[in-house]
Amino acid sequence: MKRIGLLSKIISLCMAAAVLSLAVGEDVYATTLPYDTYNYDYREYIHFTPAAYIPSKTIGGAGLTWNGESLGNFVTPQDICKDAEGRIYVADTGNNRIVILNRDMTKVENVITSFDNNGAEDTFKQPYGICVSERGWIYVADSQNHRVVVLNQSGGLEQIVANPTSESLEEGYVFTPLKVTVDYADRVYVIAQNMFEGIMVFESNGEFASFFGTIKVEISLWDKFWRRLATKEERTQQQLFIPTEFTGIDIDPEGFVYASNIDATGVQGVRRLNPRGEDVIKKGENKNVGGDLWIDGRGTYAGPSQFVDVVYRQNGIYSCLDRKRGRIFTYDHEGNLLYIFGGMGTQAGTFSMPVAVEDIGGELAVLDATRGEIQTFKETEYGNLINRAVALRYEGDETAAVELWARVLELDENNELANSGIGKAYLTAGDYKAAMKYLKLGMNRDYYSIAYRRYRNEMLTKNASYFLTGILVLIVAVVIVKKVVKKKKGGAE
Amino acid sequence: MGKYFSKEKWQYAFYTISHPMDGYYWIRHRDRGSVPLAILMVIVFSFCFTANRLLASFVVNDLDPRTVDSFYELIGILAFYLLLCVSNWSVTCLMNGEGRLKDIAIAVGYATIPMSVVLAVGTLVSQVIADDEQAFYVLIIGVGIAYGVIMMLIGIMQVHNYTLGKTLLTLFLTFVAMLIIVFLILLLSNLIGMVFNFFRSIYTEIIFRT
Repeated sequence: MKRIGLLSKIISLCMAAAVLSLAVGEDVYATTLPYDTYNYDYREYIHFTPAAYIPSKTIGGAGLTWNGESLGNFVTPQDICKDAEGRIYVADTGNNRIVILNRDMTKVENVITSFDNNGAEDTFKQPYGICVSERGWIYVADSQNHRVVVLNQSGGLEQIVANPTSESLEEGYVFTPLKVTVDYADRVYVIAQNMFEGIMVFESNGEFASFFGTIKVEISLWDKFWRRLATKEERTQQQLFIPTEFTGIDIDPEGFVYASNIDATGVQGVRRLNPRGEDVIKKGENKNVGGDLWIDGRGTYAGPSQFVDVVYRQNGIYSCLDRKRGRIFTYDHEGNLLYIFGGMGTQAGTFSMPVAVEDIGGELAVLDATRGEIQTFKETEYGNLINRAVALRYEGDETAAVELWARVLELDENNELANSGIGKAYLTAGDYKAAMKYLKLGMNRDYYSIAYRRYRNEMLTKNASYFLTGILVLIVAVVIVKKVVKKKKGGAE
Repeated sequence: MGKYFSKEKWQYAFYTISHPMDGYYWIRHRDRGSVPLAILMVIVFSFCFTANRLLASFVVNDLDPRTVDSFYELIGILAFYLLLCVSNWSVTCLMNGEGRLKDIAIAVGYATIPMSVVLAVGTLVSQVIADDEQAFYVLIIGVGIAYGVIMMLIGIMQVHNYTLGKTLLTLFLTFVAMLIIVFLILLLSNLIGMVFNFFRSIYTEIIFRT
């Protein structure tokens, strides 16, 4: 509780400071924000940052009309997704329907409650996950009907993925799909309930292909020791070591699958799986892609972040949604934590039970299951600068990013990524002294060292004549002093 | 004052570093060493230690400067020094060691000199090295620490007139004795605290009733 206690003290202090600055008459949006925005530095200390994203709109089903009537509230919606044209698909789980909204979520474009299944009318039962493929087919994880329904844009049935058969599946296995995504080759990736062996992959013809990205169970030495000591009866009583299930899934254009999971240690809440199903995520400076680092204490608010969904955005940037404290953590392709925003609460802009996150063309949308609302967030200048600078770095154009990083530093002096980005640019430009300063502030030891070596060489070559003269003078002085001492001694004797 | 920090004592301390075998032998048998000088050396070591942690260059130093506190480190090192000397003395007393407490204190205190020197030199050297030259820094520090440890070993061996094997055995027992002493101190402080609490509660009770 200690760290959390300290954190709350810091927060209240900052709130007080924010209120004071408001009294002065400055226009600060931090004062109207319902959450704190901060980041962790190299030493894993919290430093407060300007907000990268601020709440924009709240969309509930009741405010929308369809066929001249109110759409009615969403009931425990579980997933949202966006298609290539920017339309938003909501899996309205409790109402057994799929709602399609237009780009700015002001109008309902379509509501799918039923479809034609070989002449018979068929409906959904608890549609839990939804995804739209590149060619516009809608993949619905129809959880209680134990199938994935594939529809085309006009609502016609294309395919049903159900009853996976394989030797690796247990006898009598019931397939309950929860989340679904689809790649460029129309392979379907499904997270199924109680399926601990990984993500289930189906070929484009609907046949079960394999498991994908199994999370390995790590048993500590201590646990092994106790299991060794325990008798057979005791062992059966003990908790089983079961790998955690995946919670959310997304896919990037190159076919890498991003999958979130709940990690009890808070180290890795998201995986980036290559086509062979191996985790290739980079964990950054702090060796952590698990959300909050300050998680000590007891009580419901403490403990590691629980990622329930992940969205790949662009340029290697991805955002994860934490169900525990309602925060959205955004990382870049190197695993650096870019910014954190969001929080639990009852105010607009906070969540009661966030379940899904989606990038809707620059804005981020978060689906709240309890309230049945979509909350969108728009980027601020700070967030925009970071996004653009990271994008430039992702493309390898670090020099072009310098101006952006410099502006980031004006907004947030302690931003290590910005400092290190500027330092690297100075290094390429040949200003080693400035490079050293910024790289040290950015805690970038490797590049600092390179800058330092070049600086040292520069200094040595510049001042070589002084050094050599100095050494010569010293040698001469020593020789003379020795001779004088000898003479004096000789004289004394 | 002059007796403890005279020129001879200083010179002898440095003679001991270069000739530990002889040096420690005559410290035991001719009183050539000086306990205050040894304590001073331990204090100097603590300063060099803190300085190294705080001032070594960014390239080799990954410590958070906020976690370094020179005062606590000084107290800690002095306490460890006291604990080491006392527990070694109490073990060697039972194992036919010839050394007196002051000989042990000198043996350990003088052995910190090479460590202090390399920590100071290492801190300076770290200012002019880049990443791939870290090995030099590590080597300098490593050699100094190793030399200090060997000196300490020889010191304890010589003042007690032990063989090497017996020295190592006593050092192990010293370690055990240290743990026991720490345990006893904790126990004692806990009990004293209880007794204190008892009297304090009696006091408050009386205050409230009158």
